[in-house]
Amino acid sequence: MEKTPEAAPVRSIKDLPSEENILPGTPVCAGCGGLLTLRYCLKALGSNVVIVNAAGCFTLLSIYPFTPFKSSWLYTAMACAPAGAQGVRDALDVLIEKERLDPEDDLKVVVLTGDGAAYGMGLASTSAAIHRNLDFYYICYNNEAYGNTGFQQSEATPFGSKTGTTPPGKTSPAGKDFPEKDLFEIWNSHKPPYLATISPAHPVDLINKFKKAEKYRGPKLFIALSPCPPGWATDPSLSVKLAKLSVDTGIWALKESVYGEVEHTYIPKSFKPVEDYLKLQGRFAHLFKPTRQEETLKRIQEMVDDYWNRYKLLL
Amino acid sequence: MLRVRFHGRGGQGVKVASRVLGTAAFSQGCYAQDFPLYGAERRGAPITSFTRISREPIMERGVISQADIVIVMDETLLHDPMAMPLSGLKKGGIVFINTSHSQEEAGAEYKITAWVITLDLTKIGIEMLGRNILSTLAGAVASRIAGLEEDSLRHAVEKEMSDIMTDRELIEKNIEASLYCYNAIPPVEIKTSGTREAGTVITMPFETAGVSSPAIYAIGNTPLRKTGNWRVFRPVWNYDACTKCMMCAARCPEGCILVNEEGFPYTDYENCKGCLICVEECPTKAVKGVLEVHA
Repeated sequence: MEKTPEAAPVRSIKDLPSEENILPGTPVCAGCGGLLTLRYCLKALGSNVVIVNAAGCFTLLSIYPFTPFKSSWLYTAMACAPAGAQGVRDALDVLIEKERLDPEDDLKVVVLTGDGAAYGMGLASTSAAIHRNLDFYYICYNNEAYGNTGFQQSEATPFGSKTGTTPPGKTSPAGKDFPEKDLFEIWNSHKPPYLATISPAHPVDLINKFKKAEKYRGPKLFIALSPCPPGWATDPSLSVKLAKLSVDTGIWALKESVYGEVEHTYIPKSFKPVEDYLKLQGRFAHLFKPTRQEETLKRIQEMVDDYWNRYKLLL
Repeated sequence: MLRVRFHGRGGQGVKVASRVLGTAAFSQGCYAQDFPLYGAERRGAPITSFTRISREPIMERGVISQADIVIVMDETLLHDPMAMPLSGLKKGGIVFINTSHSQEEAGAEYKITAWVITLDLTKIGIEMLGRNILSTLAGAVASRIAGLEEDSLRHAVEKEMSDIMTDRELIEKNIEASLYCYNAIPPVEIKTSGTREAGTVITMPFETAGVSSPAIYAIGNTPLRKTGNWRVFRPVWNYDACTKCMMCAARCPEGCILVNEEGFPYTDYENCKGCLICVEECPTKAVKGVLEVHA
């Protein structure tokens, strides 16, 4: 069901919308990749939104009496942001039907959660909301662990990562010894109108995906791999560089899906070795020191190669 | 009993500093207690941690409201109404400040009448460890002021660092840097006391939901919080090398890089947290990170 015609795509970083819908002074960490992602997303979405935020790092964005947003913000428990979004959407629809709200002044309902809620606790309520074809946006800022509580394993934590609950040791020298869930595929199995992965290192791709999503009525879902300086044990200045490397090594595939049909939106010309990405991060330091864990490093590279071979895109 | 309170910012190693002191005291036969306190904020936000040391079993619990020694790991906190590091310092107590100022200058600057000891831990951290993580350095300073032995400190740094890292070289560097700090502080004598003065209990009145459930009606007012004092390094632009490509402005997570009348980028230092993504991402290396000097 098409709603509005597609807006003209943005071509370069210079063309990014200049409006800022989230302001400085937030309590989140310096160099937060999730915050940079959100800043870009809100440039695309504008200020006529209601953000429904599940518990997570971004709970901290709006702490009484301060808010960085130019829009409304509703806080929900970890598992039920999509349910909260349903309530907000219904309320707006009722107001429009009763002619108490001009359809021109309608607001976009945007769910904002981390990977803990998206991949784990909130998966059922998200699945139900997609199933009901709820007209909403979902932004998942994925730092691959429960960052807000000190970086414990989540269902997005990759194979080989050290977290608070997967310390490398004698029984599992790799740290976490099995891979993450493929949330993109889980969500995609519902065949939602629009689903995409995004990266704070590729703002042009990100903004254009939002522009494209705008014309669909129903769930519009986005997953962003978001570097996390304290959790990944990296210098805050490297957040953008790491996001770039995650794409250039093939670890984070930039893709979109329209009603279940997947297409890659950016394929690196030549893939960098995954080590380039891993060795910069403290959470993978045990794979290199005191001795190199060759088997583990090989397996991580193989998992990435297998992914791209599956799509026959590895050149 | 000796009650020590550490004040710093998330990411500086405030919690580990209190652990180093506690472990050093424990390893020379004292009873020790250490624990951190932080709210719903993280890297850059004010953090407090505590250590109690005694020759008798410690029955006291909870935060230390009246300290014998206060260790200030970030001097910008002295002006922070949320942190108030000097509150509750006992008569005859000692304040340590991580600063480039001398003891006399710091005392005058911050109007402190108590005994002030200073050392530039940030400089030592950057020079000896290559980073602004001051856990073992602050733990070393506290161990010296608390009158603990050098060997206990060495043991404590070794143990605490081995628990959280596998990099042997970095552990050795931490030991070296902490012993350097330990010996840079002259020995002091401090009076301790077993009893604690009774505190006041504040009774919270019952408020109806309309009053007690907060709602924010202002929009976009976080810039008032001024997160600029989180910075260790400040980004500085060299306009001769700048091509006005605006990559820095696009990549700033905070969105606090603006454009001046000549079209050059500049940052709002009141709110820039000093992540230095602008330095890393500038294609012409026109942005440099310069160590903040608190004049």
